[in-house]
Amino acid sequence: MAVDRDDTGQLVRGAAGGDEIAWRGLVARFSGLVWAIARAHRLAGADAADVFQTTWLRLAEHIGRIERPERVGAWLATAARRECLGHLRTAGRVLPTDDMDRLDIASAVGNPTEEAVLAAEQEREDADLAAVLWRAFGRLPGRCRELLRVLMASPPPSYAEVAAALGLPLGGIGPTRARCLQRLRDEMAGIRDGVTPSL
Amino acid sequence: MHQPDDELEQELRRLAARAEPVPAELVQAAEDAFAWRDIDAEIAELVYDSLLDAEEASLVRGPAEQRMISFTAGGMTIDVEVTGAGPGRSVMGQITPPQRATVEIRHRQDTVTVEADELGRFRSGTLPPGPASLRLRPPPGAPGPPIVTDWISL
Repeated sequence: MAVDRDDTGQLVRGAAGGDEIAWRGLVARFSGLVWAIARAHRLAGADAADVFQTTWLRLAEHIGRIERPERVGAWLATAARRECLGHLRTAGRVLPTDDMDRLDIASAVGNPTEEAVLAAEQEREDADLAAVLWRAFGRLPGRCRELLRVLMASPPPSYAEVAAALGLPLGGIGPTRARCLQRLRDEMAGIRDGVTPSL
Repeated sequence: MHQPDDELEQELRRLAARAEPVPAELVQAAEDAFAWRDIDAEIAELVYDSLLDAEEASLVRGPAEQRMISFTAGGMTIDVEVTGAGPGRSVMGQITPPQRATVEIRHRQDTVTVEADELGRFRSGTLPPGPASLRLRPPPGAPGPPIVTDWISL
């Protein structure tokens, strides 16, 4: 963990006392997590921005009343998950999971940012790895992508934060992670061997 | 810990950081959220949101349905009905027990101020979608701190 729990607790107490630097420390520590939760729920654009901003506004309002300051990451994750579910349930935004999966794969291929990233990666030795990895990730079952997308947050989240982000039991995170990473390896091997038609 | 798993996860993290980083303007917005704190105010907690708490069956109705939200603080309840979709929302509210109050509707771009009548009723004009919170001030001369509601996403 990049920042230990005591430090996180200190940041919360500092921000509660009005210290804006401490607040920025919290934003730096947990922005990646809140963003990853929105993306794990397949929200993008204005929806992802709404979830992100509402979650941080809510924390700012509650900062003086957080019962377990060292666990503020799980508090944020719970709040962000709730916002995501609200957005997904808003009429007109609910799409069947299969459609979501297809959209996700399509966007992974057609997104210019990602293409730019992949193009830059070409110059590196591991260009092949990045391309294969991203493609394999897009082929994972929804549940694996959700879990891994939260785990992919920078800096790395704790399992308690991941569990709160997805409404999963804490004890299931480790085993599911291992299974999904193995599945990812299998997909990568399939792509490299040309067993599965490329996109 | 399986070392190869950690390495693969780190590889994914590196990719995500490049392919879909947190937008800089959102990081800025999160930093700016600190300025919205109102340390003198009492918080009215979100206790019900039909979007999340209603029976699953009632969620599959048409797009025109309203969203009901309730906040409580001390002995006060603030019930809010949100209507509208697309670029415009509107809010109709009821304070219980009924009382006059000045209601500031705080949202991303602005703060809209409306008055609750003696029956505790208030309503907004058109509001943009996005984060919003209500701040209630008792009428001049009346006792009590201002009350702010939890932020919700309209």
